[in-house]
Amino acid sequence: MNPAGNAEQFKQSFREEAREILVELEAALLELNENTADPEIVGRIFRGLHTIKGSGAMFGFDQLAAFTHNLETAFDEVRNGRLPVGAELIDLTLSALDQIRALLEEGAGGPPADPEACAQILSKVRKLAGIPAQQSAREKAPPSCPVPDTGPIREWHIRFAPGPDMIRNGANPFLLFEELRQLGGLSLRASMAAIPPLAELDPERCYVSWEMVLATAAGADAIRDVFIFVEDGCELTIEAAAATEATARALEEPRVQTPGRRSYDKPDNVSSLRVPAAKLDQFVDLVGELVTVQARLSELAGRLDDPEVAQVSEEIERLTSALRENSMNIRMLPIRATFEKFRRLVHDLARDLGKDVELTMEGADTELDKTVIDQLGDPLMHLIRNSMDHGISSPGVRAANGKRPTAAIHLSARHSGASVLIAVSDDGNGIDAEAVRRSAIEKGLVPADAQLTEAETFALIFQPGFSTAKKVTDVSGRGVGMDVVRQRVDSLRGTIEVVSKPGVGTTVTLRLPLTLAIIDGLLVGVGDACFVLPLANTLECIELTRADIEHANGKHLANVRGELIPYLRLREHFNIRTTRPAIEQIMIVETEEGRFGFAVDQVLGNCQTVIKSLGRFYRHVQVVSGATILGNGTVALILDPQRLAQDALRAAVHGPRGRPVPPPIALHPGVP
Amino acid sequence: VPLTHEREEELITIRMEGEVGIASAAELKELLVQALGSGQQVRVSLRSITDLDVTAVELLWAARREAKASGSAFALQGPIPPMVLSGLLQAGFDEFAADLDASEGSGENQ
Repeated sequence: MNPAGNAEQFKQSFREEAREILVELEAALLELNENTADPEIVGRIFRGLHTIKGSGAMFGFDQLAAFTHNLETAFDEVRNGRLPVGAELIDLTLSALDQIRALLEEGAGGPPADPEACAQILSKVRKLAGIPAQQSAREKAPPSCPVPDTGPIREWHIRFAPGPDMIRNGANPFLLFEELRQLGGLSLRASMAAIPPLAELDPERCYVSWEMVLATAAGADAIRDVFIFVEDGCELTIEAAAATEATARALEEPRVQTPGRRSYDKPDNVSSLRVPAAKLDQFVDLVGELVTVQARLSELAGRLDDPEVAQVSEEIERLTSALRENSMNIRMLPIRATFEKFRRLVHDLARDLGKDVELTMEGADTELDKTVIDQLGDPLMHLIRNSMDHGISSPGVRAANGKRPTAAIHLSARHSGASVLIAVSDDGNGIDAEAVRRSAIEKGLVPADAQLTEAETFALIFQPGFSTAKKVTDVSGRGVGMDVVRQRVDSLRGTIEVVSKPGVGTTVTLRLPLTLAIIDGLLVGVGDACFVLPLANTLECIELTRADIEHANGKHLANVRGELIPYLRLREHFNIRTTRPAIEQIMIVETEEGRFGFAVDQVLGNCQTVIKSLGRFYRHVQVVSGATILGNGTVALILDPQRLAQDALRAAVHGPRGRPVPPPIALHPGVP
Repeated sequence: VPLTHEREEELITIRMEGEVGIASAAELKELLVQALGSGQQVRVSLRSITDLDVTAVELLWAARREAKASGSAFALQGPIPPMVLSGLLQAGFDEFAADLDASEGSGENQ
C-alpha cells in the first residue's frame, strides 16, 4: 500500500464529505435566517462546523480547521444564548463558508484561497462573537466541545474500541484523548489484550482499546461528539459512573440519564454506501451490455425453437429487466440538493440587487437520473438569475404597482410520464413580447416582416445572439445566459416551455427525460432499416391503407376516430427506396405539438434499448437521439419523435426544407 | 525510511528514527518477524524517534510478548525521548512504557 497515495485518498474523501456538509450548512444558515430562534438549527450548524474542523485537522487541513474553529466558537455562543442571531452573523458565516470551500479546494486544483479575505472575515467573526484576538486559531485549540456552565461534575466511564480501519482512515486516537481532556480530567488505560500474534497482526489496524474515566460537567452527547469522526465501526460505551448515577439521574434529562451502549455502526452507516459515480456509470454500462446480449439470446432462442433454451432465455430476460430497473433506480437522486443550492443564490442576489425575494420549492423529492441532475445546476441558475435580475423589481416599484413588496420565485419538480417537469416561476414583470420581437429584428435574428406567434417570440430569448445583447432595455437583457439553458437542455434531450404574462410573471418549464441510459422502445421497420421509437411517447398504432391515403387527397393526415392527425412517412423522410407495402402502420405519438403519426412498413415489437451515442460526428443530427445494437447485431437509430414532428410541421408551414430559423425548441403557450 | 537494521554476530539491531507510524508499519512488522525468526538476540533502538503511533506500539508489544514466550532475548533500547514517552503515557500505554524503562538498562549495557 502506498501511504502517500492513501493520504491523498483520505483527503479526497474528506473533501467530498466536507462539500456535502457545506451544502447542508448553507441550507441551515438560510433556514436560520428565517427562523432565528430555532435551537435545533443552531445545533445543526454547530455540529457541521465541528465536523469540518475536527476532520479537517485530522487530515492535515490545518488552516481550514483553524479558520473553522472561530466560527464554531461563535455558534457555540449562539447555542448558549450569549450571541443573538442576526443578518450580520448569517452573511458573515455564509462568506466564511465560501472561504472554507476555497481552503478545501485549493489543494484539489482550485485557485488558492485569499488569505486577506479569510483574515477579514475572521476578525469580524471574532468581534461579533467577542472572541479575544489573541485566542487565535494558531494557538492550541480551546475546548471545541465547551463545557456547559451549569451542571455538576460527574464521572463517566468510557470504553472505546476503534473500528478496524480507523488508523488506515487517517485518524489518530491520541488526538481524541486530547480533546476529551478539554472536557475535564481524564485517566485512561490502553488494553492490549486483543493484539494478535505478530505473524497474524495486520500492521495497519488498531487492536488496542481504551478504558477511560472522565470527570466532567459535560453530558453524554458532548462526550460522544468527540468521537464523531471515528464512529465508523467503532465500539463506544459511555456510562455515568455508578457512584454518581443517582445524582445524575436526578439532574439530567431522561435522554442523557441512561445513555447506555451505543455502537457507532449506526443504521445510517450500514444502510447507505458512498460509491464513486464512475463506478456506478461503469455498472450501468455493463448492465447495458447485458441487455444487448440478452436481446440476442432471446432472438436466438426464438429461432432454435427448443423449449429448454426458450425457458432459460425467458428467465434471463426477466432477470435482466429487473436488473436494469434496479440499476436505473440506483442512479436516481432527489433533486432537493440541487434546489437547496439556490437558496444561497437567491439570498445573495437579493441582497446585492436590493430586492426582497422569497424562494419556495415544491416536489424537491422528485427523483431524476444522476446524469440529468448533474447538468441541471447551470440552466436553473441562469433562469433564476434572469428572474431576479430582470423579471423582479425592487420592493418600492412592486409596491407602487400594487404588488406584494416581497417577490416570489418558485421552483417545482414533478413527474409526467417518462419526463420530469422542472419549472422556475416568478411573479415579476413578465416578458414584453413586442420588445423581444423588436430587439430580435434589430439584431437581424428574424426578418422585419416576420409573423411570430407568442411562443416563437419567447423562443428568441434563447438565441445565442440575444445572450450577448447589450442591455438596451431591461427586457432585451433578459436573454443573458439563456442560450446556455437551451444548449444544456438540448443536450439532455429536453424541451423548454415559456409562459409569460406582462405584469403577472413568467414560468419557464424544462421537460427532461428521466434517464439517459436505457429506454423502452418500439422497434419499427422501414424497408431493410430498423428504427426505435421511445415507447413512453407512443400512444397507439393504426393501419394506413391505400384507400385511406386516397381519402385524404394526398395530404399526410390520418383519420383516427374522427380526429385528423398529421403524419410523417419515415420512408420519405429518410429517403428509403424500397417498395411500399400495401398496408402501412402509423405509430401515433404524443408530442408537444399534439398527436403526431409516423408511417412505417411494420411494427416489429418492444425492445429494451441501450442508448449508444452516435459520437461527435453526428451531433448536429437532431432527429436521431442515439443508436442501439439489435439482437441480430444490426444497428437501429433511435428517433426523437419530438424533433421529427417539429421538423415536419415546420416544413408543412414554410414549405419543404423551408427557411425556418426559430430555434428547434418546443414552445407551448398556455401550459403552465 | 525511518527504519534501518544491522546484523552483527548474535545480535540484530533495528534502529527507528523520526516518526514511526502507519507509513512504515508493514516494514516494521517484516523486520520484527525476520529478526525473531533468526534466533538471534534482537534489539530495537528507540533513541531517535520523535513519534510512535499506535500501530508501532502494537507491533513492538506483540514482538516482545512473543520473545518472552519463547525465551529469546528482545530489548527495546532507550532512552526514549521524553516527548514521546509523555505521549505514550497520555494515551494510556503505561504498561508498555514501564517495560521500556526496564529495558533501557540492558540496552545501555551493550
